[in-house]
Parts: sequence; C-alpha cells; structure tokens
Amino acid sequence: MERAAQPAVPLGQMEVFQALQRLHMTIFSQSVSPCGKFLAAGNNYGQIAIFSLSAALSSEAKEESKKPMVTFQAHDGPVYSMVSTDRHLLSAGDGEVKAWLWAEILKKGCKELWRRQPPYRTSLEVPEINALLLMPKENLLILGGGDCQLHAMDLETGTFMWALRGHTDYIHCLALRERSPEVLSGGEDGAVRLWDLRTAKEVQTIEVYKHEECSRPHNGRWIGCLATDSDWMVCGGGPALTLWHLRSSTPTTVFPMRAPQKHVTFYQDLVLTAAGNSCRVDVFTNLGYRAFSLSF
Amino acid sequence: MSSESSKKRKPKVIRSDGAPAEGKRTRSDTEQEGKYYSEEAEVDLRDPGRDYELYKYTCQELQRLMAEIQDLKSRGGKDAAVEIEDRRIQSCVHFMTLKKLNRLAHIRLKKGRDQTHEAKQKVDAYHLQLQNLLYEVMHLQKEITKCLEFKSKHEEIDLVSLEEFYKEAPPDISKAEVTMGDPHQQTLARLDWELEQRKRLAEKYRECLSNKEKILKEIEVKKEYLSSLQPRLNSIMQASLPVQEYLFMPFDQAHKQYETARHLPPPLYVLFVQATAYGQACAHRKSSQPPRQDKTLSVAIEGSVDEAKALFKPPEDSQDDESDSDAEEEQTTKRRRPTLGVQLDDKRKEMLKRHPLSVLLDLKCKDGSVLHLTFHYLMNLNIMTVKAKVTTTTELITPISAGDLLSPDSVLSCLYPGDHGKKTPNPANQYQFDKVGILTLRDYVLDLGHPYLWVQKLGGLHFPKEQPQHTVIADHSLSASHMETTMKLLKTRVQSRLALHKQFASLEHGIVPVTSDCHHLFPAKVVSRLVKWVTITHEDYTELHFTKDIVEAGLAEDTNLYYMALVERGTAKLQAAVVLNPGYSSIPPIFQLCLNWKGEKTNNNDDNIRAMESEVNVCYKELCGPRPGHQLLTNQLQRLCVLLDVYLETESHDDSVEGPKEFPQEKMCLRLFRGPSRMKPFKYNHPQGFFSHR
Repeated sequence: MERAAQPAVPLGQMEVFQALQRLHMTIFSQSVSPCGKFLAAGNNYGQIAIFSLSAALSSEAKEESKKPMVTFQAHDGPVYSMVSTDRHLLSAGDGEVKAWLWAEILKKGCKELWRRQPPYRTSLEVPEINALLLMPKENLLILGGGDCQLHAMDLETGTFMWALRGHTDYIHCLALRERSPEVLSGGEDGAVRLWDLRTAKEVQTIEVYKHEECSRPHNGRWIGCLATDSDWMVCGGGPALTLWHLRSSTPTTVFPMRAPQKHVTFYQDLVLTAAGNSCRVDVFTNLGYRAFSLSF
Repeated sequence: MSSESSKKRKPKVIRSDGAPAEGKRTRSDTEQEGKYYSEEAEVDLRDPGRDYELYKYTCQELQRLMAEIQDLKSRGGKDAAVEIEDRRIQSCVHFMTLKKLNRLAHIRLKKGRDQTHEAKQKVDAYHLQLQNLLYEVMHLQKEITKCLEFKSKHEEIDLVSLEEFYKEAPPDISKAEVTMGDPHQQTLARLDWELEQRKRLAEKYRECLSNKEKILKEIEVKKEYLSSLQPRLNSIMQASLPVQEYLFMPFDQAHKQYETARHLPPPLYVLFVQATAYGQACAHRKSSQPPRQDKTLSVAIEGSVDEAKALFKPPEDSQDDESDSDAEEEQTTKRRRPTLGVQLDDKRKEMLKRHPLSVLLDLKCKDGSVLHLTFHYLMNLNIMTVKAKVTTTTELITPISAGDLLSPDSVLSCLYPGDHGKKTPNPANQYQFDKVGILTLRDYVLDLGHPYLWVQKLGGLHFPKEQPQHTVIADHSLSASHMETTMKLLKTRVQSRLALHKQFASLEHGIVPVTSDCHHLFPAKVVSRLVKWVTITHEDYTELHFTKDIVEAGLAEDTNLYYMALVERGTAKLQAAVVLNPGYSSIPPIFQLCLNWKGEKTNNNDDNIRAMESEVNVCYKELCGPRPGHQLLTNQLQRLCVLLDVYLETESHDDSVEGPKEFPQEKMCLRLFRGPSRMKPFKYNHPQGFFSHR
C-alpha cells in the first residue's frame, strides 16, 4: 500500500490545511466514463476528481498517473452517488442531482448541465441522495436516499414520475437486475428489497442481519452497498460483505474486509472496486485479492 | 719640414755671412768654407765620368808602379833605390790623387744626398699640403652633409595649418604677398605667428594664475570665518537640548545613536537602519497621537564601542597578541596534560566570537507586553543571531503545561514555516565547524542566540542554496522587504503565546475558557468535562497508537508542542492528543482522538471518531473566534466536549447487550444517521439549538 511521502518542504498554513483535509477525506462514489478511460470519484467535501484509468493501469504508471487529472467542486455537501450515461456524468449528494458532460469535464471551470431535486415530504432538513440507478432502456434515473423512498426521474423531461415506499429507514444503495427488470435497494433498516418496476411493488425482501454467517451485530444491521449481476448479488455494510445467490436468497462467499464497506461495483466481470473509510480506492483484479489503490 | 730644413740651412749661411767677429774660427771657417766652396765648385766643374777614368788610370799606374817597385826590389840593384824612390814619390802622388778623388767622391755623394734630401723635402711638403687639403675637403664635406641633414627645431613645432594661419594671423605678420611665393618667408611668417600666439597665451596664463591666487585667498578667509562659526553652533545645540525634549524631537539622542551605529558590522547596521526607518514610518502613520506614546518599535545599540574600534587595530598588534597567547599556551602545555581540548575549546570560542556591539529591538504590543530582541553578529561565521525575551505589564504565573510557550528558546521558533533556528543558515560555516570540531550550532544556541533565517534577512544577508557565494554582503533592500511582515508576525506570535499562556492556566484547572463572543458556537448545556491538560514530549506523541496518521503525513515535527487532554463523561474517557504548531493560531492545532467506552474506538475503527476529528481539525475556521483567532484552541476543546456528548447520546442501542442506555439522549437531533457513512449529527446549529449533519 502506498504511503504519503514525508514532505521535505516546511508546512505553511495552506499545506497543513490540505494535509488535514486529505487525512479526513472519505470517497463516497465513483463512476467510470463511457469510453472506459476515466474514473470519476466524489468525496465528502463535495469535490469530484477525474482519474485517468488508462494511465494508472498501464505498465509505465508513475506516481503522477495516480493523481487526478482534474478536481472541481461539484456539490455543497458530500457527493454520495454517481452514475454515467453514455454522455453524462450524474452526481448526487445533498438532496440534488446534477449532470455533467463527460466531453467537457476535463476542461477547467466545467459547469453542470442541469440540476434537479426530487419532491421531498419534509422541508426541515433536505434529505441526502445516497444512491443513483440508471435504467438506460427506459431512460429512467432512480434515486434512493434519506427520505426512505425510491424516486424515479425521466432523464429526457426531468420530471419525477413515481416513488416507491417500503423501507423503514433511509436507503443506502440501489442495484438493477436487468433481466426482470427489478430494482434492488438496501437500507439502514437492514433489509434488501426487490421492486418490480412495471407493477411498482415490492417483490422480495432479504433481511441480511438475520443470517448468521454475515451478521455482525456490533456493527449494526445496515446495508451499505449493493451490486447485482442478475443471478448474483453482493452486499455489505454492518454485516460482512457477502455474495448472494438471488433466487435462493442464500449467502455464498463472505469477503475478508475488516471495515464496513461503502461502495462496490462489478466491472468487466472480474474487477471489483471497493472503497473503504479512507481516501483510497482499492482495486481488485481477482475476486478476494487486492491489487493496488488509487489515492485522492 | 722644408721650411725647417731651409731654416737649418739658413742659420749656417747667416752665421758664415753675418759673423765675421770670431777670428780663428772665421778664418778656419772661411778656409774651410773656402775649401768647401773650392772643392764643391770643383765638383760642379769636373765631370764624374772623367774622374772615374782618372781613378781607374791612377789605380793602374799605382799597380804598375807597385809592380815595378816589386820588380826592382826583387832584382835588387843600386839604381833600384833611386828608381824605387822615384816610383815611390809617383805612387805617393798617385795616392794623393786617389785621396782627392775620394774626397771628391765623398763630396759628390754628399751633394747628391743633399739634393735628394731637398727634393724629398719638397715632395714631403707638397704631400703634406695635399693631405691638409684632402682633410679639409673631407671636413667640409662632413659639414655640408651635417648642414644638409640639419633639422631645424622649428619643424618640430606643430604650426597651425596654412589656411588657419592665413585666416588668423594679422596681415603684418602673414605678409601674404611675400610669403605666398616664398616658402622660406612663409615658414618664417608662420613661426612669427606662432611666437605671437604663445606670447599672448603666456600672458593669459599669468593673468589666470593671479586670479587663482586671489580666489584662494578669499576661500581662506571664508574658511576661517566658518571655523569660527563651529563652536558657536555647538553652543546653540547645547542650549537647544531642553527645547528638543520639550518638543519630543530628540535629535541629539538620534545623532549619538547614529555615531555608535557607524561602528556596527554591516548586517547589524542594515538591521539598525531599516528598523529605525520602520519605527519612524509606523509612528508617522498614527500622527494624531503625540509621537512618544506611539513608540511601538524602539531601536537601541548596546555594547562597547571601544571594543568595536579595537577590532580594526593594525595587524601587528593582533599578531603580537597571538604570539603572546601562543607562548602562554606553550607554557601551559608543558605544565598540564589536557591542553589539546583547551586549545580546541579556545579555537571554538574564537570562531563563535560575537561582535561587541549588538542591536536591541523592543516591540510593544497593544496590551502593554514587550518583546525584547537582542541581535548579535558572529563575526567569523557571518551570521546574525537573536535572543528573545517577553515581559508583561503584570507578573505572569506560569502554569506547568505552559513552560515552553514563552521560553526564550522556543518562543520565536518557526516564525516562518520550517525556520527552527537550530542550524546555521550559512553553508560555508560547515567547513569552519569541521576544523574546530563543532558538530552543529544547536549546542551553542542557548548562549549565542538563534540564527533564524528571518534574522539573516533582516540583516540583509542572503545565503543562496544553489550557488553558495564566497562573501555574502548585507543588502538593504532585502531587509526592507521583510521588515514589515516579520514585525507583524513577531507581534502576533507574542500575543498568541500570551493568550495561550492565560488559557493554559485555566485548562489545567479543568475549565475550558470560552469567551462571550464564542458562546454561540456551542449549546448551552455541555456535560462532558475536561479533566486533564498536560504537556507530553514529541517521542511520547509519536509512540501513541492513534497518532500514526498524523506522524506519517509529516505534521508532527519536533518543533511542535504536544499536549494530552482528557475529556470524561460517566464511564467514557476521551483522550485527545494535540499537536500545537508554533505558528498557532494561523496554523490550527491538530487533534487525534481515542475513545475508551465499550471498547477502544479510534479513527481506524470508527467513522464517527473520524468525523469528530474532522469537526475539530478541518472545520477549524468556524472556531477561530474574533479577529486574532486566539480562541481557537479553547473553542476546539469545547467543541470536543460537545461532540463527545452527541456521540455518547446518539449511540445506537445494541440489542445483544442488556440494560438501559448509559447516556439518555438530551440533544435535539433531526436524524441520528445519515448518508452511506452513517454519520452522527455533529453539527450544532445556532440559535435553533439542534444538531444536524454536514
């Protein structure tokens, strides 16, 4: 694992502040560009950084290749979730969804294309949006967050179409099961719920914390991250990171990650990127084996 | 010669002619002369050929006679004697003839010789004449060549050009009609003109000289007048001293200071000049107040001027001193053994010698405390050092943890980032140190003062790292550009340290002093209490298990100050390790937390601890308080207590454990968890008084 090199330059106010920021930074979200060459990462300060994956993964990768190509302030609050369409990067955090053009994003001073806020019930506090789910066929964007509902937004018109209720506590993560099509949502209440979009109803519920292999009561019951491959599902959080077979609703593999995991993605069938509570993005090239880390 | 020979001749002749007085002599002379004359005359008359024939005939006759005599003698007889006699007489006659002939021959010879001689003499005379003439000819030729080669001096003179001459010369000199045609006359005219001009110039020169004399005399007079003025001015100055004091314009005092300042070494001089200028500029800015009250910066010189003058004595004296000291040292080597060390020690002392004069700067802060800075100059090392002391209007009781805050050793540490003042800033010093076995200057800073980089800059000394220079000269512009910032930093430093000093006294008693203008940052009721506040060493800090991240990030240097705070509530104990940067409060203190409650929680295993640290470390700008920001540390500590309260009260109840919650929730929170990281609501909202998430 790489460690930050000891700075030889004496630290002034600016350097100390930046070092402190980096020490207390959490990366909440990431998304790969449609061309596959870039990785966007969002952190708790509301910044988005764009890394060049091709440079970092190449055989001649140097220290500088692992630094972001560009960093900009996207949201006021943390950027909890990001997805990419074939042309846009959608980021969401403090109650808003913003869209950015991938083609423009590497230029300095990039501005968002549009921003939208789903209709919330409470007005005292703006609930956060923890998860974004893209359904390219229907051109829908599904949002799940602090108000315990799943909202659906039409990407072309920008209107919010319906909301799915069922979670008793706020929603952490969403995943799309393409075959059905179904949406999986994991929440603070410890349950993974499957929703059928056509009927807009809850189809299946998996209460992860009730299974002994993966439950960790001292951590709590919340489900922090979710990823699905139609037959398989990976989820983790309070309980350990586990691979589930969906039809039978049984856990198959438990991954050896000490800390509760925040984000997980299937990428090209083999690579899993999972970000823990540090400023680093860990890259797995094989299931269960960590290769290297990208750093903010 | 011919004249001489003829002169010789002449006296003979004259003698004979002109001296008839001597009887005998004259007679013999005349006889002899007569003989001469007669035989000479005979010689002239007789024919030499005939004489030769006569001689031959005589010789024959003689021979015949002799032969006849011989015959007769041999025959004998009576008539022989008469015949012999006869023949004898004949032969005698013949002998006489021979003798005469001989005489004639001699005379002829003599005559011949005389004639030759005469002729020769004539020839010689002509020869001589010829020689003389030739010699004269040669001489004349030489003279002619000399004359032809002769360069008259007038050609060496640069005469004015022809055109100019005709233009300038008055017509009676130039005589154009005559000179145009005749080059000789022309040259003469030109020379005339030259002479004329020179005469005029000589005249001018004399006039100027006399003028100069006059003016010099005038100057003398005026000088005398002025010098008589000097003592009068002095007395006026003396008389004006009380007036100066009354008007707050101490010119005299400043003058004396400038006098002393002349003996300062260049870097101290630069510092003195720039600091005085800055002090005056500051005083000018607030010109509404009477100047004396606004002396925020006062500059003075202290030390012995005589010693400073002594430094520039001629080298023989110092060499004598050295040889004396060497002699003394030699004596001591004979007596005692451990002298190598003593010698080395002396060499070290010599190398680290300070200039006898030092500059004193007193910075007064608004609350009346004063920072006394004494600047020294190390002559052999060409660096400046400073000793600092802080005095306050009231006596300070130092709390235990505040020991290092105002100590002269560390109060000015890291005024600029990284400027710890333990190493010499002059790279050339390393070689000097190696010679006398000094490892670093750190061992001597207590005595000599700290060689901070800003001190060198104030003295105008710049030691570039890339190209080390042989001699570094003090530069005024460097000092001037750094003066204002440094003075401001110094004042902020003193005031922040004094503020901390006061705060520490309170912290040690378990009270977090929150000023009234910072009350809005915290809720009214804070249950967690600060129970301990102590200093810890740098090593202790690095060995703590929960401070690894800070150490790795390079934020825990040995120039920082380290403290441990303990906050308690019920069974929960929160340890906070604090890194205080010397640049407080522009650089915030850094907190690392370790909570002991139901297990040990640090930022490694609990995100909420991390969030708490973030609240205090990253969001420090909200906690700075009013302008100088000295409340930062105490506000951070207070916030820490509040955060602990929130943490403990919002902890989700673990179903597996029995019993009620230890800390009932009293804080008003909208939501207990938010976001993928499930953060607790640490942000306090004023004036509503509820907690929310960032």
